[in-house]
Amino acid sequence: MKKIYLLLLILLVAASCKDDFVDVVPPYSINSETFFETPEDYELALVGAYDMLQATYVNVLMGEIASDNVNAGGESPTDVIGWQQVDRMIHTAVNSNIQDLWNFNFAGVQRASWMLENEDNIDFDGKDQIIAEARFLRAYFNFELLKWFGPIPIKESQFELGDELRIPRSSVDEVYDFIISELLDAIENLNVSSVQTGRVNQMAARSLLGKVHLYRENFQEAANQLNEVINSGIYHLYGTQGVERYEDLFEFLAENGPESVFEIQYTGVQGASFDCLQCSEGNVMVGFSGIRGYTGPVFESGFGFGLPRESVYNAFSEDDLRRDVSILDIEAWAAETGASFTIGNQDQNTGHTGYYNRKYLPRINNNQPDANLTQPNNNRAIRYADVLLMAAEALNRGGIDDEMARTYVNMVRNRAGLSDTNASGSDLLEVIINERRLELVGEGHRFFDLVRWNKAEEYIDGFTAPKNNLFPIPFEEIGFSQGNWEQNPGY
Amino acid sequence: MSKIAAVMLRYLLISLFLFPSILILAQDRTISGVIQDALDQEPLSFANVSIKGTTVGTIADLDGNFTLQNVPEDAVLVVSYIGYVSQEVEISDDDFYEIYLSADAQMLADVVVIGYGRESRRNVTGSISILDSEAIERIDPPNVAQALQGTVSGVNVTQQGGSPGSESNIRIRGISTNGNNAPLIIVDGFQFEGGLNSINSQDIASMTVLKDAQAAIYGAAASNGVILITTKSGERNQEAQFTYQTYFGLQETSRKLPLLNATEYALLLNESYANAGLESPITQVTGLGRGTDWQDEVFSRAPIMSHNLAVRGGSETTSYSISGSILDQEGIVGRSKSSFDRKTASIALDSDLRDNLNVNARLFYFSTRNRSLNSFGLGSVLFNSLNMAPTIDKGVDDLTGEINLGNEVVNPLTQIRNTHNESRTNRLSGTVQLKFDYAPNLDIQARMGFNSALTQNRDFFPVFNYGPGKVFNRLEDNMVTLGKINDNDYTFDLFNTYRNIINDRHDIIFTLGMTVFRQYGEGLFGSSTGVPANSFDFADLSVATGSGDNRTADSYAYDVRRLSYFGRLQYILDDRYLMTGILRRDASTRFGPNNRVGYFPSLSLGWVMSEESFFPRLDYLDFLKFRGSYGVMGNDRIPDFLYLSLLSGQATYVSGDDNSLINGIAIGPLSNPNIKWEESRKLDVGFDIRFSNNKFNFVLDYYINNTRNLLVSDIPISGIMGVSAPGSSSPTVNAGSVRNQGFELEFLYRESLSENLNFTMGLNFSTIKNEVTAIDGRDVLEGGQFGVGQLPPSRMEVGQPIGYFYGYKTDGIFQNMDEVNGHASQVALGAPAQPGDIRYVDVNGDGVIDENDRVYLGDPIPDFTFGFNLEVNYGNWDFTGYLFGSVGNDIVRNFERDQPNVNQMSYKLDRWTGEGTSNRVPRTTVSATTNSVFSDFFMEDGSFVRIQSLGLGYNFQNNLMERAGINQLRVYAKVDNVYTFTKYSGYDPTASTGVPIGGGIDFGFYPIPRIYMLGVNAQF
Repeated sequence: MKKIYLLLLILLVAASCKDDFVDVVPPYSINSETFFETPEDYELALVGAYDMLQATYVNVLMGEIASDNVNAGGESPTDVIGWQQVDRMIHTAVNSNIQDLWNFNFAGVQRASWMLENEDNIDFDGKDQIIAEARFLRAYFNFELLKWFGPIPIKESQFELGDELRIPRSSVDEVYDFIISELLDAIENLNVSSVQTGRVNQMAARSLLGKVHLYRENFQEAANQLNEVINSGIYHLYGTQGVERYEDLFEFLAENGPESVFEIQYTGVQGASFDCLQCSEGNVMVGFSGIRGYTGPVFESGFGFGLPRESVYNAFSEDDLRRDVSILDIEAWAAETGASFTIGNQDQNTGHTGYYNRKYLPRINNNQPDANLTQPNNNRAIRYADVLLMAAEALNRGGIDDEMARTYVNMVRNRAGLSDTNASGSDLLEVIINERRLELVGEGHRFFDLVRWNKAEEYIDGFTAPKNNLFPIPFEEIGFSQGNWEQNPGY
Repeated sequence: MSKIAAVMLRYLLISLFLFPSILILAQDRTISGVIQDALDQEPLSFANVSIKGTTVGTIADLDGNFTLQNVPEDAVLVVSYIGYVSQEVEISDDDFYEIYLSADAQMLADVVVIGYGRESRRNVTGSISILDSEAIERIDPPNVAQALQGTVSGVNVTQQGGSPGSESNIRIRGISTNGNNAPLIIVDGFQFEGGLNSINSQDIASMTVLKDAQAAIYGAAASNGVILITTKSGERNQEAQFTYQTYFGLQETSRKLPLLNATEYALLLNESYANAGLESPITQVTGLGRGTDWQDEVFSRAPIMSHNLAVRGGSETTSYSISGSILDQEGIVGRSKSSFDRKTASIALDSDLRDNLNVNARLFYFSTRNRSLNSFGLGSVLFNSLNMAPTIDKGVDDLTGEINLGNEVVNPLTQIRNTHNESRTNRLSGTVQLKFDYAPNLDIQARMGFNSALTQNRDFFPVFNYGPGKVFNRLEDNMVTLGKINDNDYTFDLFNTYRNIINDRHDIIFTLGMTVFRQYGEGLFGSSTGVPANSFDFADLSVATGSGDNRTADSYAYDVRRLSYFGRLQYILDDRYLMTGILRRDASTRFGPNNRVGYFPSLSLGWVMSEESFFPRLDYLDFLKFRGSYGVMGNDRIPDFLYLSLLSGQATYVSGDDNSLINGIAIGPLSNPNIKWEESRKLDVGFDIRFSNNKFNFVLDYYINNTRNLLVSDIPISGIMGVSAPGSSSPTVNAGSVRNQGFELEFLYRESLSENLNFTMGLNFSTIKNEVTAIDGRDVLEGGQFGVGQLPPSRMEVGQPIGYFYGYKTDGIFQNMDEVNGHASQVALGAPAQPGDIRYVDVNGDGVIDENDRVYLGDPIPDFTFGFNLEVNYGNWDFTGYLFGSVGNDIVRNFERDQPNVNQMSYKLDRWTGEGTSNRVPRTTVSATTNSVFSDFFMEDGSFVRIQSLGLGYNFQNNLMERAGINQLRVYAKVDNVYTFTKYSGYDPTASTGVPIGGGIDFGFYPIPRIYMLGVNAQF
């Protein structure tokens, strides 16, 4: 009997695992605690921050819809209700599309911050460039958030759970200061030219800084930065040199071309689905802007959002080359090519106009399904023409140099086949304002330009100043902050 | 029920079934007698008396007296009574016989499995429900989980759609967590991971549901309840016995939705355009007729077929059971394109190696093949059938030039034809157990259970154009995706049991042991474009020609472990005072080092009052037991390693140089280092009562389950944390408490009216009151989905049932402009109101209808559910009926696409068309309205009563068969899902994803089919 008890004891002891049996590491997984230990780690994390740029398609499309340029469009007057409401300027804090803006851009901020809070982990050659790119990206996302929402929470390191209860929305000035200091830091460390096509360089950072100063109406600083870009001689307006043809500017051919100061890269080689639009490697805006039910040459079909209004089409003069590059008259196109299309939303305020945003229409290509979400058209986030017009505006409004301003405006006008303007002073500003609209239609700038010129109420139906100068903080976020963040006035 | 009532019920049933069959033959002599209980000499009213080997017989009267005429000289009387051991009485010279029957001890001493051991049912102190093999065999569902629906109290089973092979959601005593509510399933002692639909229901001997604190023996995995499945074994000292079962059935849809026909559709569409000031899209309405009935086109009758063969037997020291089965089911939508094949084989061996050493080994092999159609929500085949215009011909694959139905709606027939996929799973499960009686009163058991499954998925997406802009289009290149997933787990148990009865008073069973559980596996995926010939026949990576980014590969791996120690003391004093105490300690990899270990105690007490000497000797009351239990259990069913911050985010950008993808690294789901057990505290009190010679069996329970530290996964948090980045998500936190309470009643009435006629009637009834009692750090959690771009319709909020529906309350239709102007502005919902639009209630009275006016609309949790089962055996005939009802659950209709040109349900014919025309259905228009925001207009009462099954069988009994070696032959006809009584307008009121926050929303689920079956059971 003793033997048996002994046996039993041995069995029990042998089988008695210790708790370290459950002390396992996840198989084949990388843990954040052991990251940022090699230069490659920094490169890899930087890709993550760049990745969020692709989600800024929503900034461009919604920026257009908010402006007087386009109707929301879509399938019906309630298709993507959030956009329809923005188009009518009846949006409230409950708007999943405004929430997307908040979420996606803060995700960009957060991914950049993850790198920046680990910037001192190790030292290696080329780290300054990588860190500077991350700083640029954080500034880029923060500036987008500032444009849409005004005061936002800012932090040097990553936001942590609970920060929404503690960190207030910084004032617009504080956010500007933060963005400016990050960009100055980035400019100091960035190469003049990109280390790889599509990556940020010093000129992109200067252009963004110039834009930030222009928005803040620091005209001298704006002009200084933008002049640096112009005087670098790196860029020129596409179609003005060699065999370039202006009408190719928004075709695949001219992507990352001589006019591209900062371009967000997209591709159609990977599939995507509606479950996660921000996960797409394609430009979601492009599929959403596509012609509904289209069959025919050159283009692929899409969802028909962001339909240019007749008023913007008619704002172009007949001989303005930009009109037909920017806007597609679908009836005329169908008559000319035999293409067919369908009409979705027919609401007179938000529906079909007969025009499409040709700059960002899907072109025939072999992108992966869902083809509406994976169109590869790059987004020309900062274009040299924009830089010229911003510089001109800063020079003019700052009373710095109207002649130089006029030169810049005329460069843009000449490329469009238009003659020089001789205007100066406030007349020149009117010309600049008009040129910005025509040159940049379909690219998401118009709404914010109108707001900073105090002209939004004049041009945008339903717009109420100052309420609509900013968009509401998402309803959900106000709830999360439990009183820490106040809603923007009027919402 | 009083004795009088019982007697009356018997008379009623006798008059219904019996009288025509009493045969009295004129022959020989007449005898008489009285039949009494052996113990108390009480007469056994209506006991059966028959002459062995004949159909001649009679039944006793109220006082147990009987008279039988024309009895042959050498006859043997068979006397039987339900709940008693039958007795044979040889006829002697006497003409009068006093016959005493003894209560069937076996029946009272039913043994049930309770986890790491067995217990006599009489002595069980917890709340359990049992489904035996007889019931499972009679119901014989393709998925054995369905056998629990309506047959036991406190268990609700809903199918995840009616497509073949779909899994079931089992909920024991309601929804206790916003996470995984699935019960723990233990098969022959080992944890069974993987769907119950892979198990052959004919292999199952019993299913025991542990509903209360007794489940604490399973500690951290037990809080959702435990289902213990015991598979069939052979019997010792029995010659090989073969059983063969087969059935063939035809399935059809149990419902079609009333939709507009082509003419109605065209008229309504033109009206909706006219109401928006637009031209009619369909100018030629006459001659359209009824058009295409897409539901008729999509639904078809589909076969189901099953074969099952088993052989069981045993020698003095060994028993064996070997079985094999085939199930072949096609879908009522898409036939073979949505099908489920299952083949199973099992072998069980039990042998005494020595007097004190027993080995028991069981192996199960399952092989399933599943083909499926898109059957869920936007883009599903049924969704397309409901929304497709009836004016379009069924042969139109490419909708170019047809009326614009948006980018999601395509021809469902084309969609079926273009769907090519296959999922095959091969699973081997089993257990080997050694039991060693190493000392008097002591034994030790060691067992190793395991599951090993390989799942292979193959999907092919051909190049196809459904029409301009359709989201299903593949215009450029086809694609094949392959997946191989290997899932393994093992459960190792080692436990020691001591049993003894001391001084004839103290009955002790003490169990002490440990369990090691480990799950591990990996998945490998690949895809490529360029499948030759655009055909499923060549859908393999080996021949596909895609390269570069058109060829992808991915993989994952996991390893989850749990280490547990447990002890249980079962103590019975004087056969009447019962006590069970359990303590379990669990350590799990799913929790961080700070919270890795949890302790789970429980105590349950029972009192068999009917054993007490002071208890009055009531002749009709056989047994009375009071029970009470309290204990703590855990739920660890959450994703792995949430306490660690893993870099599993998606970080992909594009190189501008060559447009290729660059992959980086980013943070995955946000971690929560402090994550800990979800903990349920369960209280149960109840009693068991049996009376009228055990004919009536009555069990009543009241329970309160408080679940705390709910693991709220993907808890909505501020976007500033960056959780909307690809591959990231919100953290899982312990953030809430939920209480479920209710009554459960099980009532069983067994009666034998004659040798030829007996019946069993079961009734069960369960109430559930669910309430969220706390959410830490926030007011509400939201979930679910309604329409596109709308606020989440479901909520978890303190003081409300979990997952309740939250939206706008409607108050009829605006009849005229004055009413619109007199009401709060609805413009904040998306458009200014017009006459004919839905009027929403300004709940907070601020003169504006906005998101602050949303209120509780209803909830998907039933107030009560009930089941009713009847089994009648009359001579060679048997009849079974099963019924299930659910009352008080609400359901949200979410299968109507909000698009101007799609087809509509026919209730739209009752729309508002002018003042006074309707106060329920809003006007039809293609201009912007607020009529599609989530309101009670889209919520319906989902209460229903379903006749789940009706069956009629005939047992052949004759000498010819016996000579052919057939002991038993039963043929039967059965109808499943016979009819559902409900006011719900969708396909199926049980439609639900089963998620706690967001359940009860009907995305157009595949309805559960009605099945007509013919079957044969044989034993030889």
